[in-house]
Amino acid sequence: MANLKTKEITTNPIGASVTRNDVYEKVTGSAVYADDIQFGGKLLHARAVRSPYPHALIKRIDTSKAEALPGVKAVVTGKDFPNRIGLYLQDKTIFATDRVRFIGDPVAAVAAVSDEIAIKAAALVEVEYEELEGVYDAEFGASDKAPLIHPKLGDYIYPNFIFPKPGTNISNHFKIRKGDVNAAWPKCEHIVERTFRVPHIQHVPIETHIAIAQMDEKGKVTLWASSQSPFAQRNLIAHALHISQSDLRVIAPLVGGGFGSKAGVTMEAIPVALATKCKGWPVKMILTREEEFFTNFVRQGLTAHVKIGCDKAGNLLALKNTMYWDGGASTEYGVNVTRAGGYSSSGPYDIPNIENDSICVYTNHPIGGAYRGFGMSEMHTGLDQAIDELAEKAGIDKVTFLKKNGVVGGDILATGMTMHENGLLQCIDNVAKSLDFSKKEKPTSPDRLRGKGIAVMWKAPAMPPNAGSSAWVELAEDGNVTVGLGGQEIGQGTFTVMAQMAAAALGVPYEKVRIAGPVDTQYSPYEWQTVASRLTWSMGNAVRMAAADARKQILEMVAEAWKEKIEDLDIVNGIVVSYKSEQETPLENIVIYGMPKKNDEGWMGGPVIGRGSFMPKYVTGLDAETGQGPRAVVHYTVGCEGLDIEVEKSTGKIHVLKAAAAFDVGKAINPELVKGQIEGGFVQGLSSAMFEEIKLKKGVMTNPSFVDYRIATAPDINFPLETPYVEVPQDDGPWGARGVGEHPMVPTIAALGNAIYDATGIRLEGPPFSAEKIYLAMLDAGIVK
Amino acid sequence: MNYSTITLTVNDLVETVDVPQNMTLLQMIREKLSLTGTKNGCSAGECGACTVLMNGEPVNSCMVLAAECDGAEIVTVEGLAKGGKLTQLQDAIIKSGGVQCGFCTPGMLISATALLKRNAHPTDVEIREAIVGNLCRCTGYVRIVDAIKQTAK
Amino acid sequence: MINPHPGLPELQYVKPTSLAEASKFLAEHEGIARPFSGGTDNFVRLRDGVLKLDYLVDVKGLEGVHEISFDSKKGLTIGAAVNMNKVASNPEILRHYPNLAEAAQSVASYQLRNRATVIGNICNASPAGDTIGTCMVLGGVLRVHGIQGFRDVPLSSFFLAPGRTVLKPGDVVVSITLPVPPKGFVGTYKKLGRNIIGDLSIVGVTVMGFPSKDAPSGYQFRIALASVAPVPFEALKAEAVLSQKKITDEVITEAAESAMQAVTPIDDVRGSARYRKFMVRNLTREALTEVWKKLSK
Repeated sequence: MANLKTKEITTNPIGASVTRNDVYEKVTGSAVYADDIQFGGKLLHARAVRSPYPHALIKRIDTSKAEALPGVKAVVTGKDFPNRIGLYLQDKTIFATDRVRFIGDPVAAVAAVSDEIAIKAAALVEVEYEELEGVYDAEFGASDKAPLIHPKLGDYIYPNFIFPKPGTNISNHFKIRKGDVNAAWPKCEHIVERTFRVPHIQHVPIETHIAIAQMDEKGKVTLWASSQSPFAQRNLIAHALHISQSDLRVIAPLVGGGFGSKAGVTMEAIPVALATKCKGWPVKMILTREEEFFTNFVRQGLTAHVKIGCDKAGNLLALKNTMYWDGGASTEYGVNVTRAGGYSSSGPYDIPNIENDSICVYTNHPIGGAYRGFGMSEMHTGLDQAIDELAEKAGIDKVTFLKKNGVVGGDILATGMTMHENGLLQCIDNVAKSLDFSKKEKPTSPDRLRGKGIAVMWKAPAMPPNAGSSAWVELAEDGNVTVGLGGQEIGQGTFTVMAQMAAAALGVPYEKVRIAGPVDTQYSPYEWQTVASRLTWSMGNAVRMAAADARKQILEMVAEAWKEKIEDLDIVNGIVVSYKSEQETPLENIVIYGMPKKNDEGWMGGPVIGRGSFMPKYVTGLDAETGQGPRAVVHYTVGCEGLDIEVEKSTGKIHVLKAAAAFDVGKAINPELVKGQIEGGFVQGLSSAMFEEIKLKKGVMTNPSFVDYRIATAPDINFPLETPYVEVPQDDGPWGARGVGEHPMVPTIAALGNAIYDATGIRLEGPPFSAEKIYLAMLDAGIVK
Repeated sequence: MNYSTITLTVNDLVETVDVPQNMTLLQMIREKLSLTGTKNGCSAGECGACTVLMNGEPVNSCMVLAAECDGAEIVTVEGLAKGGKLTQLQDAIIKSGGVQCGFCTPGMLISATALLKRNAHPTDVEIREAIVGNLCRCTGYVRIVDAIKQTAK
Repeated sequence: MINPHPGLPELQYVKPTSLAEASKFLAEHEGIARPFSGGTDNFVRLRDGVLKLDYLVDVKGLEGVHEISFDSKKGLTIGAAVNMNKVASNPEILRHYPNLAEAAQSVASYQLRNRATVIGNICNASPAGDTIGTCMVLGGVLRVHGIQGFRDVPLSSFFLAPGRTVLKPGDVVVSITLPVPPKGFVGTYKKLGRNIIGDLSIVGVTVMGFPSKDAPSGYQFRIALASVAPVPFEALKAEAVLSQKKITDEVITEAAESAMQAVTPIDDVRGSARYRKFMVRNLTREALTEVWKKLSK
């Protein structure tokens, strides 16, 4: 028994860098991802038939030869599944029905007993196309000269916060009209006006998309998928098949990287469609890396026209930001990227006059979906480079300029919302200190140019106003705790952090908490999606509530048994203690069997099961013409990044000497995991800044493999990376925590662009800032010969 | 479809397997031997998720025919820890925080294990060069390189 | 639209145990059979459907393919199945042909180098091949076995077009012999990729220099360029500048300019023609300067 006078108190897991609870399996190869699940000899293999044209009418499909091939169990086409689905705007069908809208658009699919037969069968499906003129540029697509890609846009269903324009290729037009920019321009002493272009990129999870579906004889479907969104997939696919959500069960094992690509529904619907035609047979579809690159979600491209002005003292006065988002063939998800890009288009700056038009445009390009940052990376690329230029024009040092204009608590934002307390200024200070930013330093050798760049960012979780989380907590006879949740472990460490939170809220050691995984919509509690950097905050609230609820049930029972007040009781290290009477009882057994009344007069308590549910109640709509509303978002995470780089004069190659990334996380539940997220996000951001681009030529992706879609490798990250994060508590976050999953990849492009400018005087129109672009720009500018 | 019967050692166990002649070593490991720790990331020899040791040397198993492996000695990630005891490197990568989604981890461990065997005290540059063919999208490589350094000490 | 197979298409694997057997098989299955050692190029192209074969013929069981030996008169012989890692770390190669080791080391990743071979690099006739330039400037000669037996083919006449060589049906390249390099030679390989290392070359420059009584400048240079022409390219005019004129910084610059003028790169997904031309000039100048510094000590 513990001596209560010298209480041994559990080290509070909140703020402790505990070891992750999923890594033993991962390092021994026993972790189960979707392709590792064993289905036995009955497993069928799926292959999609895909459009070779970017835009064409489907005149005729003949599947008879494919169906006749021995070993083929099912062939499906678009006419079998005509229902439109979409997370926001319902504009897509599982297969193309009357027309194809991008190269790779699935037109049909086959399920066969082997991959080889599936490939042969897919080749036997005959499709006759009539090519149509294509749209390959967002601004052109938005103009009245462009052919219509979705002529039936007017019939599509959408929520009241999306504004499509039927009769055009514009699927959403979000506006902000705050103050009066036209009146403000004349008051600006300095103005910068520039166009920036951000290309499409792909998420590149190392595990490609995979889904296995099986329909039983009663018509109930089970779907195993590498998924960030088991519940959203259940909802959308049930809708597509005209079945009820409860008849579709989604089982979601560990995910080998998501970054947004595995949110919503993409290829998962295809094996489900096939499964409906061969009841009882599981059908597996796994994308090749090439298919991952060009047939599934990508990050949409952006053309942004930025005009920004400040007064003589450097106070920002006006911003006009017109953004054309190259949304691709379907913008069911991308319309919200446009919206989020719009309502956050001011960046974390206090700007009194703002005119923003954020326009989502259909093009015959791959489908833009959710990508880490959800529009913020693209938006900041333009805004934060324009600000960099403006600071220089105004003759004010960059850090001073940022801090002068950075949002502080109480500022009225672009949408009219009031900003909460935040650590932006401290993030800027931390980064500046880490890089000794004000010091201009000499290159390390005469054949290089040296420069430093800095940029800030913000992002709010982009989601519907009523995105909810729920959780349950139960205990076993042995006193171990299991947490039921619906969020996915995609590498970010959520299973670990949730266990820490449950442990802290209940009063048990972290090591005694398990997560009920894999997430299974049949048993797991509802979670909207694992996106938006929302789990730590939203699901954390639900888990904390559920653990607190379990704790309350335990303490109520013990209080009754010991005839004490709950206020005098506590659970410490898995033991219920009374500070008054100094009695103790471990949690074992009582959490299942309850506690006996005195004199064999009955029992108290019973199996303990805690519940928690969290949904923000306060997000409001925004005016369709002005974008104004009391509360656009739940909260913002702010941050800053900087780089100290050199550019080789003879090749244009960039060498990073040092980098720093600071974010206000509210409360670091697990500091080393927070740092790991920031490091990983920074590197993904740097990779998008230096190397990545989906090279599209008339709708064709010309680099759909790792050979020519380059990402950062270990030798590229050969510099010190500091992560001095900041903690200004989130008022409604568990222990003050808010999310940081996406944010570290957001400002990197702008920060690098600013560093390149500082080193060379060159500002490129957009990433990737390849050695070639930099060299040729230096050559043309006479900086090198 | 032609088959070959091959006999090889996998994680110290002798296996005799009938393989279609177009089957890769990766497919054989995962499908015929049910050792699913080795992952498929690209099937083109670029990402390294499929890295195994073949006769002591790391190779992309997606770029090796199973039929070529008669008489070969293969080690996969499942063969690193012996009797449930993790290797120093496995411990180090857990401690350093070098595992997030875990999908690159098996291949990374194999490449790094082989590096430390041929070079007990690699420099920072040598470590990074040894894992240039192992792509990671989650960690930014920082803590993976740290783990290898810690183990080399 | 490229939509590759998940794995390899159906094919048969053949492992002949003698060169005679191999050549016979290849000749009898012209167009549908191909020799391979590491397979790192072939497998990718088979998946993509760019290459269609019924048979893959493994050369790793044939006579002479594993040889790696140096003879002070004959030079260096590298067998067809000797992988890049072995070339990069072999003590004889490091001592006598260090720039070949350097070029081999620059290829791809450690895993791929355990499979990729110098001969494979050559037989695929990719203009981007990293080791081809060194083999060319050293005057490499291929030992080929065909249906009519052995013959020697100098590298200088081996390449016809991207992916096309003088090899005939039934041919298997057994080894390459690099003559003993000129006394006192210094060489280097400068490769420009998109990542710091591990990429294909956007431009690859092989430079070799050695003292030569025949040359008015007292030195001869060899310059081979990768990824800037349909086949690996030797910059003869630039070489002439360096053998004719006394070597100074200006002459090196002139030679680099000449190399730049001589190449005909294309715009492709990896880089533009314009950038490649300038990189030829800059990397050649850098390589020449480095080599000259060592030579002139």
